Amino acid sequence: MSDQNILEVRDLTKHFKAGGKQVVHAVDGVSFTLARGKTLGLVGESGCGKSSCARTIIRMYDVTAGQVILDGTDITNMKQKELKPLRKKMQMIFQDPYASLNARMTVRDIIAEPLIAHGIVKKKEAANELVYPMLEWVGLTKEHANRYAHEFSGGQRQRVGIARALILQPELVICDEPISALDVSIQAQVINLLKDFQEEKGLSYLFIAHDLSMVRYVSDEVGVMYLGHLVEICESNEIYDNPLHPYTKGLLGSIPIANPKLARQKEKSGIEGDIPSPIHPPQGCRFHTRCPFAKPECGEVKPQMKDAGGGHMVACHLY
Amino acid sequence: MENRWEMLESSNEDREKLWKKNRTFAGDVWFRFRHKPTAIAGFVIIVLLLLFALAGPYFTKYSYSAQNLELVNIPPRMKVYEAPDGTGYMYITQSLKVVWVNKDGTLGGQLKKVREESESSMTIFDCNGTEVALYYGVKPYMMADPETRVLYPTRHVFNKSYTLGTDSLGRDILTRLMYGTRVSLMVAFVAVLVNLVIGIIFGGISGYAGGTVDTIMMRIVDIISTIPLTLYVILIMVVLGTGLKSIIVALGTVYWVDMARVVRGQVLSLREQEFVLAAKTIGSSTKSILVQHLIPNAMGSILVTVTMLIPSAIFMEAFLGFLGIGLQPPLASLGTMCNDATENLRSCPYQLFIPALVICLIMFAFNFVGDGLRDALDPKLKK
Amino acid sequence: MEPILQIENLKTSFMTSNGEVQAVRGVSFSIGKGEILGIVGESGSGKSVTSMSILRLLADTAVIKEGTITFEGKNLIDVSKKEMRGIRGEKISMIFQDPMSSLNPLIPVGNQVAEMILEHHPDRKKEDVKKEVLELFSRVRIPEPEKRYKCFPHEFSGGMRQRVMIAMALANKPDLLIADEPTTALDVTIQDQILHQLRELEKEYGTSIIFITHDLGVVAELCDRVIVMYGGLVMEEASIDDIFEKPGHPYTMGLLVSIPDIKQDKSVRLMPIPGSPPDMTNPPEGCPFAPRCPYARKICARELPEFIELGEGHRTRCFLQYPDAPADEHNPFRR
Repeated sequence: MSDQNILEVRDLTKHFKAGGKQVVHAVDGVSFTLARGKTLGLVGESGCGKSSCARTIIRMYDVTAGQVILDGTDITNMKQKELKPLRKKMQMIFQDPYASLNARMTVRDIIAEPLIAHGIVKKKEAANELVYPMLEWVGLTKEHANRYAHEFSGGQRQRVGIARALILQPELVICDEPISALDVSIQAQVINLLKDFQEEKGLSYLFIAHDLSMVRYVSDEVGVMYLGHLVEICESNEIYDNPLHPYTKGLLGSIPIANPKLARQKEKSGIEGDIPSPIHPPQGCRFHTRCPFAKPECGEVKPQMKDAGGGHMVACHLY
Repeated sequence: MENRWEMLESSNEDREKLWKKNRTFAGDVWFRFRHKPTAIAGFVIIVLLLLFALAGPYFTKYSYSAQNLELVNIPPRMKVYEAPDGTGYMYITQSLKVVWVNKDGTLGGQLKKVREESESSMTIFDCNGTEVALYYGVKPYMMADPETRVLYPTRHVFNKSYTLGTDSLGRDILTRLMYGTRVSLMVAFVAVLVNLVIGIIFGGISGYAGGTVDTIMMRIVDIISTIPLTLYVILIMVVLGTGLKSIIVALGTVYWVDMARVVRGQVLSLREQEFVLAAKTIGSSTKSILVQHLIPNAMGSILVTVTMLIPSAIFMEAFLGFLGIGLQPPLASLGTMCNDATENLRSCPYQLFIPALVICLIMFAFNFVGDGLRDALDPKLKK
Repeated sequence: MEPILQIENLKTSFMTSNGEVQAVRGVSFSIGKGEILGIVGESGSGKSVTSMSILRLLADTAVIKEGTITFEGKNLIDVSKKEMRGIRGEKISMIFQDPMSSLNPLIPVGNQVAEMILEHHPDRKKEDVKKEVLELFSRVRIPEPEKRYKCFPHEFSGGMRQRVMIAMALANKPDLLIADEPTTALDVTIQDQILHQLRELEKEYGTSIIFITHDLGVVAELCDRVIVMYGGLVMEEASIDDIFEKPGHPYTMGLLVSIPDIKQDKSVRLMPIPGSPPDMTNPPEGCPFAPRCPYARKICARELPEFIELGEGHRTRCFLQYPDAPADEHNPFRR
C-alpha cells in the first residue's frame, strides 16, 4: 500500500492557541491519501483549514493529533533535524509571489538555496548548471538569474518560486493557492508548468485553492473542506457532476459562470450566511447552521465519512 | 518597403523583458536617498565632520594640550587699538594684559609691563619703545599713548594665529575641537557598534526563539530600560574610573536595549513571512535562515536605529563631559569643552558657542540621514 | 441611453523615483443611467486608477494630465475640492476591495453609515437617520440590524463588512456606484451573495454601477456592458454577450480561453497568454499587447491602432480588424 501512496494523512488535527484558553480548531480529523503521480485538490473557503492542513503536513506547524505518513515514513513527530533529508521529497509552492521570495536575493541565489541547504552543491557559482536549465524550463532566461526578485512581475516571481520548489526534484509538492494571487492571463501559464512537470517527472501534487474550476482541471481527486472538516472527497469529475454534500452543491452553485447566457438562467443556489468562527465551531455537522437540509440530528452528531458508491466519500447525514 | 502585415517575431526574451533598471536593493535605497535634499545635506555634513576630525589635526601646528598662558582667552575676532607707531595693533585681554597683534592679524606676545600705577588704576606697557597706558578704572578700559591722548578701539581684526581663539589655558580651540569631535564621534561609533552586536544577537535570538525564551529575554530588557540611564552611567564611571574606555563601556551596555527591541520586532514579523517559511520547508539551517533571510531584511530598520542612536550617544557623552565625569583633562571632547567654557561664559561666550554648534551640527546631520534612510527604506513609498 | 458619466481621453500618470508611470493613457467611455458597466483588466492595466481619477481619490504622486470627466454637466477634473466632497458619497460613491481598511475601527458601523447621511444632509433628524440606516442594513441582508448597528468593524466577517460598505455607499442613493474589486477578497459563496445583492439594488434604485474586476466570470454574471483594459488603454468595448460570443480583440480572446471552464476537458491544455504585462514606465510604442499577441504583425509593434466599430456599441483597438488587414491563416477575425 504505502509504496503506492506518496502521502497518507490520518485523522490530522491542528489546533492553535488564540490567546487565553481559546483554541482555534483549524483542522479536525482530516484523513486522505494521495497516490504517487496523482493530484489531490483541496477546496474550501478561507478559514476552512486547507492552508493549515498543508502547513501541518509539511511540518511547518507541529501536529496536534493524527498521523502524517510521507512515502511510508511516519513524519508526524519527527524532529526538524531528522526531517531534513526527507524535505527533499516534499516541497511547497506559496500563494503570495511577493512575500515568498526574499527581495534581497538574486533569482539565482533563491533557486540555488535548496541545493545548498542539502549540500548538493557547495558554492552558489557551482549551482548555475542546475539553475539555468530550470530557469529556462519555467520560461525565464539566463539573464534573469542575476536580477533581484523585486524587479519581476507577479507571474514571473511565481515561476521563480516554482523553480525553487522543483529544483530538488521532489516527489510531492504542496501547492498552497499557487494561482490565486496571479492575474487571469498568467494563471494558465503556471498551471501548464505544473502539469508538464508532473507528466515528465511523475510527481504528486497536493493542490490547494479556492478556484473550483482550476482545481477540477488540475486534480484527479478533490476534497472539500469546511471549517476544519473534510466533508466530501472523490474523483474530480464526479464531485462536479454529482456533488452530494449540501456545502459542495452550494459552493459549486456560487462559482460565477463565464457565460452571460448561462449566468442569466442560473438560479440562485448559493449558500446564505457566513462561515462560523473556528474558535467555537458548531456541534455535530459543522455546516448545519447554513445547511438548507439540516435535520435535528445534524446539530448533535458529527457525520462520519461514508462511501456513497464508487469511492465517493461524503460526511453527511443525508446519505 | 517591408510588408507591414508580416508576422511580428516576438521571442520569449521580449515577452519576459524586465524594464526596471537592474538595481540591487542597496542601489535602490541609495537612489531614493539621494533624491532627498536634507538627507544629502546631513550626509555631506557627516563626511565633512569626519574629515575635520580625522584629517584636521595634521594641518594644525598646535596640539590639543599645549598651553600658552601668555595668550589666554583670545577670541576669534578681536577689538583692537592701533599702536602709537602704527606698525600693529594691541588687544586687551580679560586679565588686563596687552597682547601685540600684527597688521595681518597674527598674534605677537604680551607687551612688557613697565610699571604699575595702582593709585590711578593704570598699568604702563612698553610698546615698541613707546609707553602706553592701560586705564582700568572704568569700563570699557581705555588706553592712552605717551601724550596722554586716548586711543580708541579703531577696528576689529580676525585672529589669524588662532582661528577660533584660545581657551582659558591658552590652548587653540580649533585644534581642541578637532580632537573633541574625533573623541565624540569615536565614542558614538564604538558605543553603537557594541550596541549593534549585542542588540542583534540578543534581539535576534529573542525574536527567533519566541515563546518563553522571548518572554524572559524581553523582561530583562524591560528591567534594564527602567534603570535611569544617567544614574547607571555615572555608577559605571565610578566603578571603572573616568575616561574614554568607561564612557564607551557605559554607553555600549545601555543603549543596546533599544536595538534589541528593534531587532526582535523585525525578526518576529519577518519569521512569519512566507519567504522564511519557504526556507524552512526547503530545509535551510537556522543559521542560514538568520544570516541570509532575517538579518538582511531587518538591516533597514537596524540602520535607521543606528543613525538615530549615534546622535543620542554623542549627546550623552557631551552631557557626561559637561557634568565633569567624562574625559579627564587635557583630553578634549565636545562636552568637556563646553564645561570648560562655562567658567568665563560672560566674557568669552564663543568658547561655549563653538563646541555647542558642532554638537548641534552632528545631531542634525545624523537625524537628517536617519530620516532620509527611513524614507528610502520604506517599501510603502516605493511605487 | 442618456449617459450620466462621460470620460474623454483621460490620462493619469504617477511620478515616481523610477520615472513617470503612465497608468492611464487616454481612456474614453460613458455609462448610462441604470447600467452596470464592467471594467476588466489585470493588475497594472489602469482600471483602478481610472476609477480613482473619477472621484479624484488619487495619491499625491498622481497627476491627471489630460481629459475630461463629465458628470451632470460639470467636468469633475476642474471642480473645487469642496464641491468634490459634496459629490463623493452623495452622487457618486465607491466600494473598495478591502472593507476593513475603509471602515474606521473605532466607531460602531451604524454610526459610520449614519454619519455618511448626516454629512450630506445635516438638517435631518438623528432618529430618522437611524431608522433609515437600519432599513439599509436589512436591505443589504445584515441579520439583526438593531444589534449590529452598535457593533465595531472588527466584530464583522469580511462579507459582512463589505455589506456595511455597500449600505454606506447606497446611503444617499447615489446616481453612480463605483465598485473596485469588491468581491476579490471574499469567498465564492459570499461573492455570490454580494453580486446577487448588487443586481437587486441596481434594479431597485436604478443606480448605475461601474464594476471593476479581473474576473470575467463575475462580469458575465453581473454586467450589461464591458470594457477590457490593457496597458492603460481600452482595448475593447462591447455588450456582455458580444464580449463572450464574438470577442473582437486577441487579448479578450486570450482571457477567455486561459481560464478553464467548469466543464473543461482535462486532457486539453490551457492556452495561456505568454509573457508578462508591460511596464508602464516604458509603455510599448505600438499596441501594448503586441509583444504577447500570437497574431501580432510588424505594424502592431510600431503604431497604436485606432478604434474600429464592429457593431452597435462594439468597438475594438486592433489592426487585424482593419478593412485592409489580410485574411490569412494568422488572422483570427478573417478566416
